[in-house]
Amino acid sequence: MLGEFINPYYLQIGSFILINIILAISIYVTLSSGQLSLGSAGFMGIGAYTSALLTIHFDLPILVGIIAGSLVAGICGIIVGLPSLRLSGVYLAIATLGFGEVMRVFFVNWESVTKGAVGLSGIPHIGRELLNFFRDAGFDPSSIGMRNNQFTYLLVLILLLLINIFIIWFFVRQNKSRVGRAFAAIKMDEKAAEAMGINITYYKVLSFTQGAILAGFAGALFAHVLAYISPADFAYHRAIEILIFAVFGGSEVILGAIFGATFMTIMPEALRFISEYRYMIYGLVLIFMMAFRPQGIIDENIMQWLKKKLPSKRGRSHGSRNQKHM
Amino acid sequence: MRQIGKKSLVLISALMLVLLAACGGNSSQSSGEGDKGGTINAKIGVISYLTGPGAAYGEAITNGFKLAQKEINEKGKVNIELVIEDSAGKQEQALSASQKLMSDDEIVALLGPTLSTEMNVVGPEADLNGIPIMGTSTTAEGIPQIGEYVFRNSIPEALAIPVAMEKAVKKYDVKKVALIYGNDDVFTKSGFDTMKEEVEKMDLEVVTTQTFQKGQSDYNAQLTKIKGLNPDLILASALYNEGAVIMDQARKMGITVPFVGGNGFNSPEVINIAGKAADGLFVATPWFSEKEDPKVQEFIKKYETEYGKKPDQFAAQAYDALYIMAEGLKNAGEADRDALRDALAEIKDLEGILGSFSFDKDGDVEMDPIVLTIKDGKFQIFE
Amino acid sequence: MLLEQLINGITLGSIYAIIALGFTLVFGVLGIINMAHGEIFMFGAFMGIIVTSTLKWPLWAAFLVAIAVTAILGYMLERFALRPLRGKQGVSHLAPLISTIGVSILLENISHHLFGAGNHPFRNSFAEINFQIGSITVYLVQIIIFVISIILMMALSYWLLRTKAGKALRATAENLETASILGVNTKKIIILTVIIASAMGGIAGILVGMAFNSVNPQMGLSMGLKGLAIIILGGMGNVKGAMAGGLILGLSETFVVAYGDSGYRDAIAFIIIIIILLVRPQGIFGQKSAAEGR
Repeated sequence: MLGEFINPYYLQIGSFILINIILAISIYVTLSSGQLSLGSAGFMGIGAYTSALLTIHFDLPILVGIIAGSLVAGICGIIVGLPSLRLSGVYLAIATLGFGEVMRVFFVNWESVTKGAVGLSGIPHIGRELLNFFRDAGFDPSSIGMRNNQFTYLLVLILLLLINIFIIWFFVRQNKSRVGRAFAAIKMDEKAAEAMGINITYYKVLSFTQGAILAGFAGALFAHVLAYISPADFAYHRAIEILIFAVFGGSEVILGAIFGATFMTIMPEALRFISEYRYMIYGLVLIFMMAFRPQGIIDENIMQWLKKKLPSKRGRSHGSRNQKHM
Repeated sequence: MRQIGKKSLVLISALMLVLLAACGGNSSQSSGEGDKGGTINAKIGVISYLTGPGAAYGEAITNGFKLAQKEINEKGKVNIELVIEDSAGKQEQALSASQKLMSDDEIVALLGPTLSTEMNVVGPEADLNGIPIMGTSTTAEGIPQIGEYVFRNSIPEALAIPVAMEKAVKKYDVKKVALIYGNDDVFTKSGFDTMKEEVEKMDLEVVTTQTFQKGQSDYNAQLTKIKGLNPDLILASALYNEGAVIMDQARKMGITVPFVGGNGFNSPEVINIAGKAADGLFVATPWFSEKEDPKVQEFIKKYETEYGKKPDQFAAQAYDALYIMAEGLKNAGEADRDALRDALAEIKDLEGILGSFSFDKDGDVEMDPIVLTIKDGKFQIFE
Repeated sequence: MLLEQLINGITLGSIYAIIALGFTLVFGVLGIINMAHGEIFMFGAFMGIIVTSTLKWPLWAAFLVAIAVTAILGYMLERFALRPLRGKQGVSHLAPLISTIGVSILLENISHHLFGAGNHPFRNSFAEINFQIGSITVYLVQIIIFVISIILMMALSYWLLRTKAGKALRATAENLETASILGVNTKKIIILTVIIASAMGGIAGILVGMAFNSVNPQMGLSMGLKGLAIIILGGMGNVKGAMAGGLILGLSETFVVAYGDSGYRDAIAFIIIIIILLVRPQGIFGQKSAAEGR
């Protein structure tokens, strides 16, 4: 039956990959206008806590919580983004890293609301809520031969996949639009872009805020997929991890961020059989990667090569087949 | 240009292939199911914190499991196979590991994960899937209440700390206390909550409440403040690693009052790290390595020859946990998840190295802790 | 109590300062944030433990071994994580950040394996020497830490400003290509910089071990983050700024605990730098141009 093909373990990893892809895109978007922000973990935390608290205390639907979480993160993004315009490069990186740490300390200390280090448990779980919904509608997963956890995680995975497709589509479109070109111009040369009449302040804050919204959104999803969050989830390590997704895969193109998030999520899982050494290998991979391919695995060249190659390759293979026939 | 692109693509696909291969590689191993000559064969999944900052706990715990496994299998009634997965102390990884284990139908129960934060994520999932899970080191409030498939054999702080506090307060006629705790850790935070509650119950005066964070090595500022306020007793909710350093720095500063710690403060390592400075620590714990119980002494001897160091309470709790599982399997008569759950819930007065053990109606521990104190560089029973 | 807290703050601040000196030196010359510096510092601390507690050698040997080991680590860091990135086309400023993060992850996990995850005590009779002034206990180590940090700062300033190697180093920092054309062996200078910075991390490691009697593999991260904050506070690449920034941070952390809420101790460093960056991005002692150049 269907159930035998679906291993919740893979579904689980799949969901984490999809959440991580959103996080990687959040870094990619800010980087695309030349800003290096390490505040993603902080924004993620804001989104996660906002959504979790709203759904727990006010019984709001998860969807409302997630939207509210992303919006609050976005507003914080504007608040942080505006003054950060003065900073660039490493200074911006450290300031945003600092923002993330301050947020974490804040989550730890605001015990009356966040329960401090103990964390928030009992957050409504997307999959389980959906399962209840389906059950109420008179549908039982066992009727198609699936166990409860298979069904819930399959639903979560499909939902996340749809969300991901939408986000990727949106940003691919944006890249080709006026906004995307403005970002690219600012990244190339801020002064020249300004001279050409691009509103630097607007576009830089826009890209920073987009990143914050995405991170907050991913955080809210994270909260409703794990059903439990604690401040330690949004610490320095998370910020670095997210940065690595984008830089490892290639921060120039969106496909790079997607690939990086996928690869870096699978790797520690795949290396489970040598669990003691896996983080050493993780470190080594980063060093070698930067030494041999500092622009990340996927860059503009590969993209162009792919674009040129794929259609033409198809054409040629047809051609050769025809030749053989003749 | 093209060349580079091609090479990278080959590299990417090669990497992906390797990863995929590795992913599927070690997932299926067959084990004989069914009753052969009365032995029950069972596979038990273990989720433990084996890489990262808390790896020391995970290591002690898995060592405890392995030792118990060897003994149980030698006895022959139950044959247990352990499948150990690392969680690196992270919730997502613990959840992934648990999914991996749960989706193996031969695995009848889970042991672990190490941290209460991880259990908060894994517990509901296990409960939903109907697989018994038992924490051996998760002491935070509310863990067994997650669901009817969730158990623990580690004694919660709410049970241990009050006992130690009462005895210390009586002995030293304590009126004023200072509190210090790690506020960014679930374990120490929930220990602190218990302490605070107990302080209010006992009507003691709190002169100050100080916090510290993970990775900190300088506690002088907090301790200087405590010293200036002259408490009669310091309540420290800390894991032994930090706790021992806090005591050391306190004694160096000239603070001589006794310390009361939580369950996590109890380890021979405290004496190892703090030396003489560890004198005057009170902890309540089910685990006492000097107990004149032949079972305990045999366990310590075996553990030492096997792993080259003294077992701590985490190892001991893990050791007992597997015996509880074995007992459950024996009573259930078959390696079945639901049968095992029901059998576990029935367990009463099982004698282990930690003492007599029972589950209450929630699947929580029912046990009487003993109060230990460090005197002359040695843990002793405090009467 | 005020005096005691002042001593605590200065001790902590001096250690922060020595760590920040290592950061600032590498940043000043290479323009790179060395995220592995905290882990190199941690290795230095472990060398101190091994030499004094396990091998039972005297303290000065511990310093020598720690300096030697951290210098070698520094060389390897330069050789394998920084040099391959230099002069390559299309390398963003992100690449060295990531590769040093890679080194820090690697070193932290190696030390987990070699030394175990727990805390290690630093037993040395020298660390026990203390004076009693009224109700205050002052440890000789605390004074020594302060003195060493001052000496290191002065020696570094002198070396940078007055010696030939220092001049070459500053020239390299100013402009790598020009310095190279003018006959400065920039490759050697860069290696030297990273090695010196790492060795200072090693010294700081032993001092922390002696002062706080606690060494563990995770200490690198929190100290490293503080070091980052300090170099922003004091101005990137500024030696005196690192010293002053370290002391300011050490004292403010201590006083937050003494008169405020100890829960916010870890946030102080970053709250200060966020304010500094918004008000005076070049840092307290930094020059305007340094900030604009980035």
